[in-house]
Amino acid sequence: MSALSPNIATRLAPHALTIAIAAFVVVFSVIEPAFLTPDNLVGIFRQVAMVGIMATCMTFVIMTGGIDLSVGPVLALSGVVSFFAMEAGYPLPLVLAAGLAAGVLVGLLNGAVIAFLGLPPIIVTLAMLSIVRGSALLLGGPDLHGIRDQPGFTFIGTGSIAGIPFSIYLFVAVSLLVVFLQKMTPIGICVAAIGENERAAFLSGHRTRITKMSLYAISAFGAALAGIIQSSQVHTASATYGEFGTELDVIASVVLGGTSLMGGNGSVARTVLGVMFLGIMNNGMNILNVSIDIQLIAKGAIIALALALAERG
Amino acid sequence: MRVQSAFIAVVLFFLAVLAFFCVFAPNFATASNFEDLMAGFSFIAILAIGESFPILLRGIDLSVGATLALAGMVAFDLTLMFDVPGYVAIPITLAVATLCGAVNGALIVKLRLQPFIATLSTLAAYRGLVYAISGRQLVPELSTTPLSDPWIMGLDTYFDIGSATGLSSLIELPWVPLSFFIMIATLVVFGVMLGRTRFGRDIYTVGGNAEAARLAGINVGRTIIIAYAICGFCAGLGALLMIARLSTTTESLGMGMEMSAIAAAVIGGVSLSGGIGGLAGPVIGTFLLGMVLIGLTLLGISQFVQQILTGVILLIAVGHDRFLAVRRQKRLAANLAEEA
Repeated sequence: MSALSPNIATRLAPHALTIAIAAFVVVFSVIEPAFLTPDNLVGIFRQVAMVGIMATCMTFVIMTGGIDLSVGPVLALSGVVSFFAMEAGYPLPLVLAAGLAAGVLVGLLNGAVIAFLGLPPIIVTLAMLSIVRGSALLLGGPDLHGIRDQPGFTFIGTGSIAGIPFSIYLFVAVSLLVVFLQKMTPIGICVAAIGENERAAFLSGHRTRITKMSLYAISAFGAALAGIIQSSQVHTASATYGEFGTELDVIASVVLGGTSLMGGNGSVARTVLGVMFLGIMNNGMNILNVSIDIQLIAKGAIIALALALAERG
Repeated sequence: MRVQSAFIAVVLFFLAVLAFFCVFAPNFATASNFEDLMAGFSFIAILAIGESFPILLRGIDLSVGATLALAGMVAFDLTLMFDVPGYVAIPITLAVATLCGAVNGALIVKLRLQPFIATLSTLAAYRGLVYAISGRQLVPELSTTPLSDPWIMGLDTYFDIGSATGLSSLIELPWVPLSFFIMIATLVVFGVMLGRTRFGRDIYTVGGNAEAARLAGINVGRTIIIAYAICGFCAGLGALLMIARLSTTTESLGMGMEMSAIAAAVIGGVSLSGGIGGLAGPVIGTFLLGMVLIGLTLLGISQFVQQILTGVILLIAVGHDRFLAVRRQKRLAANLAEEA
């Protein structure tokens, strides 16, 4: 038995997150049957859609040993830019393009400074956090801008098709797209190579710098899309959205999915599991009326514990 | 070598910015302005001193803001809910904060978590604890009661150095807040510890190369735990100064302040790649940031532009750090080529 148990542990380790999710679903449904109603399950997906989109898009960055702390302000910036594009009377496709382009531009800037000047990602994106927040505030001021009479834009965050909110379709589509990028295109291989050993990847002819720059653009794209969803959901755009802590939730989801902050290992599909895990924890604790203080403590303990176990596995 | 050039650069930049604002910003070169600068940024400088220890070890502490809030709330509860006198409450507060830091270190050493993750999870957990023990919510009427303990409020004292030395007849000097002296004392104590003791050498060695340090017989785990405990202690000290100045505390005290501390440390020449940097740099880095914020406000420049400039300064600092590293590598390569 004692010879067998480490074997079982090794085999189960890759599925630990799935098992944990299943266990929590069972526990929550037993204590509070309302947890398992279709409405609530859809609600969980809707709640995680924004963080989920940002987390799947940031997975590549973290796989290369980088990090993106600037997603919160990028989220705000894209909402504010979209708002002004709408105010100017542009059609919906242009509005969305403007919002997303603003975000991608920030991402390209992040990526260029990190990839070509070789500066540490944590500080570059921290500086960018401050710069983008300042720019968004300069552009939109600290006020809320109401979005009225924009049925097309409002549909993104609040509309639903066949009873399922549109933002969930977006989350699924983005996840599938990024999984596709990882599994089916050279980008996936290049990301893994950079994460394992950047110098070796460079010497073996991978275009490491251009790739790294694009990865930060992908991450910022996710944040910009989340910003559009947020503005659409609450019918307002504001430069103060995506407040401090957003980026930490996103990073926690990615890391819970088993992507190492040191780079190398990682999988977009598992990031989705990490997102779902945090979403189910939040929703379950809310349904059980757990107070905010215990929720925060539990969240911290779970992240630490899960990763400590992963380290042993 | 690199320590010196990065440090000299930040001092020069500091002086240049100081000169610029003294000339161009109205009311910048006044006694009351420097008083504000010292009172408003000394505790951030203390946080930056603390944050330097994890960064010297190639780590990071994201939880200093939450630790600060927890320490502030402990002091608040002790003095207002339990009527504990300040001379007991202050040591307990500092002990709690030090313990918070030590827990961070223990998570990193014993559970082998990456510092970013360990302190990210304690950021959430400590902030949760603040809500859990908040005297403002447990006893609602306390939320409007200011702190009155003479020991804690005594931390918010100002000294009229000018009159005491007779210099004020010649020039108007700012009243110096006690927090500034506490910051200087912290700098001296930890600076001596870092530069003159075996523990300090261990920090640089572990930060430079942890495996080599272990093989050289250094107790790496203990060094890491003590370093994070020092960071926690500094957060506790900052909390006491901050609540004395505000004469109360809130659950959201110090939210996001870890970013200022990290920025100040990096601007002050503490390298994120570990093992390089001192403590005077982070202090100058803090006041550099403070000066820019206050100076630009006096120039009537929007607070939003200030945020942008803070980011730009951070980029310049880390870019300069990188420039020095590359130059050093090239020199090393050139020397090796000559020898060969």
